[in-house]
Amino acid sequence: MAEQRTLIVCDHVSKEFQTPEGVFKVIEDLNIKVKENEFLVLFGPGQCGKTTILNTFAGFEIPTSGEITVNGKKVTRPGSERGMVFQTTALFPWFKVMGNVEYGPKVRGESKAKRRERAQHYIDLVGLQGFENSYPIKLSGGMKQRVGIARAYCNEPLLLLMDEPFGHLDAQTRYLMQEELMRIWQQEKRTIIFVTNNIEEAVYLADRILVLSNCPTGVKAEYEINLPHPRQYTDPEFLRLRREINDVIDHTL
Amino acid sequence: MKKKSKWNKYMILSIVSLLVGVFLWWLVTDGLSAVKSNILPAPTTVVKTFIKKLYDPNPEGGTLFVHLLSSLKVALSGYGLGIILGIPLGIIMAWYSRIEMTVRPVFDLVRTVPGVAWIPVMVSLAGIGLLSKALVIFISAMVATVINTYSGIKQTKEVHLWVGQTFGASDWELLTQIAIPSAQPMILTGCKIALGSAWTTLVAAELLASTKGIGYMIQQARGIYRMDIVIVGMVIIGLTGAALTGLISLIEKRILKGGRY
Amino acid sequence: MSISWIKNGRKFAYGTFGILLFGTIWFFATNGTNLGKILPDPITVLKKFFVSFAEPIGTKTMTLHILTSLRRMLLPYLTACVTGIVLGMVIGWYKPLEAIIKPYIELIRPIPPIAWIPLSIAWFGFAEMSKYFLIFLACFPTITINTYSGVRSVDETIVRAARMLGAKDRQLFATVVMPSTVPYIFAGLQVAIGSSWATIVAAEMIRSSEGVGWLIISGQETSNMSQVLVGIVAIALTGLLLVSFMRLLETKLCAWNERGA
Repeated sequence: MAEQRTLIVCDHVSKEFQTPEGVFKVIEDLNIKVKENEFLVLFGPGQCGKTTILNTFAGFEIPTSGEITVNGKKVTRPGSERGMVFQTTALFPWFKVMGNVEYGPKVRGESKAKRRERAQHYIDLVGLQGFENSYPIKLSGGMKQRVGIARAYCNEPLLLLMDEPFGHLDAQTRYLMQEELMRIWQQEKRTIIFVTNNIEEAVYLADRILVLSNCPTGVKAEYEINLPHPRQYTDPEFLRLRREINDVIDHTL
Repeated sequence: MKKKSKWNKYMILSIVSLLVGVFLWWLVTDGLSAVKSNILPAPTTVVKTFIKKLYDPNPEGGTLFVHLLSSLKVALSGYGLGIILGIPLGIIMAWYSRIEMTVRPVFDLVRTVPGVAWIPVMVSLAGIGLLSKALVIFISAMVATVINTYSGIKQTKEVHLWVGQTFGASDWELLTQIAIPSAQPMILTGCKIALGSAWTTLVAAELLASTKGIGYMIQQARGIYRMDIVIVGMVIIGLTGAALTGLISLIEKRILKGGRY
Repeated sequence: MSISWIKNGRKFAYGTFGILLFGTIWFFATNGTNLGKILPDPITVLKKFFVSFAEPIGTKTMTLHILTSLRRMLLPYLTACVTGIVLGMVIGWYKPLEAIIKPYIELIRPIPPIAWIPLSIAWFGFAEMSKYFLIFLACFPTITINTYSGVRSVDETIVRAARMLGAKDRQLFATVVMPSTVPYIFAGLQVAIGSSWATIVAAEMIRSSEGVGWLIISGQETSNMSQVLVGIVAIALTGLLLVSFMRLLETKLCAWNERGA
């Protein structure tokens, strides 16, 4: 296999927030390198730092020290080369599915014909053909998140950030969406940084898992998952990895 | 630290803006005498008149207190009757669908008629005194209360009702133990809105058919070109309306300690 | 399919029953008793109402009276819509402007529009302008504040999503802020149309020579109670039309929104 090039470098990044009680250090000296088309999972306990890390990658937050570079360029603000799928989907309720998915190309000035074609491709990819003219309010949680994924993909970003996108879904839909995401990603490879607090999800999806510590967050452990796709939740190797990572978290808690 | 000074910056801007406004007002009236005082009196005149009216019954026959008291008497009696009848009516309409279907069309028609329009009818039925005005206010307060109470009951969460049913609650118990308490916030909002509506209707009623009250005071004052009294009256109307609404908000905070669910 | 037929049929039946019941009570209350000396029975009123479309009351037929009142209300209402929405967006978006302008709007708001009548008459006489001024004052603060609220309530996450997809400031405003504000603006428009209709009726009752409000007051002055009631019927029906129209507009414009009933 050819050596993949490093696309994203997170170099000695720290982030602190000013609060009435004083300085709150969320991220401490984070160092991550992400390869092109790698599926990287950030796995860690809830409510601490994971979303902030993702927001820093996206450009919604600026690191207090250190810097993040994507494809050589430093990240200072949100941009279309870094797409994001939100936990709350954050779809535009006044646009139909097509309007949502084609939004990125539209605001970047692409012609109607081209962007429609592209949007249709991604709507089909996520399995929502036939729903182009539905308003988000008519869609189920899983369907809404598919639109979110299509919308992020359609903008053809270099990097896709996913902030616990399946967190609000029920268990069945969650399993389904994990499979779907794998299928989509296999068909159209992108670099993905995926945040979750669900260990099964992490082992199922990841090429590499970074286990994060509690606040202030840093990388505590790293795991390469070399299982072939599609993975089985009940595969002995899957379960072994799951147990091992679980033990690591116990230590860091 | 940063946030607090930002807040102050905008407050200062607002205060400066208002002061500039008052200054321009003064400039246009007293300063440059560009506008006659029977069209727009100066702010200083208004303040002086306000203080004077606190104890001087001239020129139309009553001090501020007398007028205000009279207005409040009428407004609150109509309002009280309105909410006492309106809340049960709203509850019944929301709970018993047959009653709703029957009463709805008539209610929707009555609802679009502003309270003022009923004045001639009420006057011919009840004369020019307190009763006719109170009745008119009663109608407008009741309409507002019914609408909000109805909404409040209709918005009762089905889940809560189901919980009640699994405990074997009767229809009456469901209504009184679950629906009505959960509708409290909206019922109180309705009381607030009804108060605003009652107060507005009162002013209109007094402009049309009255021998005392703040509305009457304004109407008389205009007739003798005392715009300063008119403005004082308007300010009092605004302040009283706001104070009454604020009072209900305070009561609301006391009653709804539990918070929204 | 058929269930909604049955539901609507039932609603219609009960509703008609309700109206007929109301009419019957009215009829017997006036036909057999002393009340009949003051108030006319419903048949007379309805007859007179329909006749007035052909035969003028005063100098105009019913159609013209209704249109006059509507014209007086709609012109300033639409002006207030445009200016209120624009101003609301501006003060919602730019904090310094909010600090400067919003206090004035908050000062005007508590004063019922009707209280402005003496002032508007003093300033504009009995010309149409005084009514336009009044209605404008009735709608403008509500529409502005509702728009302002809408702009301030834009979901932060959706703004982030738009930025992430590459939207620049102007695009953000047009494709995110404005659409998300529409439901709030609409709520303001609906409230404003209700209070405008009430205000124009009151204004016409106080001073005018035609229009639905005039019908009522002139009826009272000539002790013609059936004319008074005809006026009320006209007000109710027109009001109902206005409200229904707004509801229809809402279903078209806010199809994507979660509004319940």
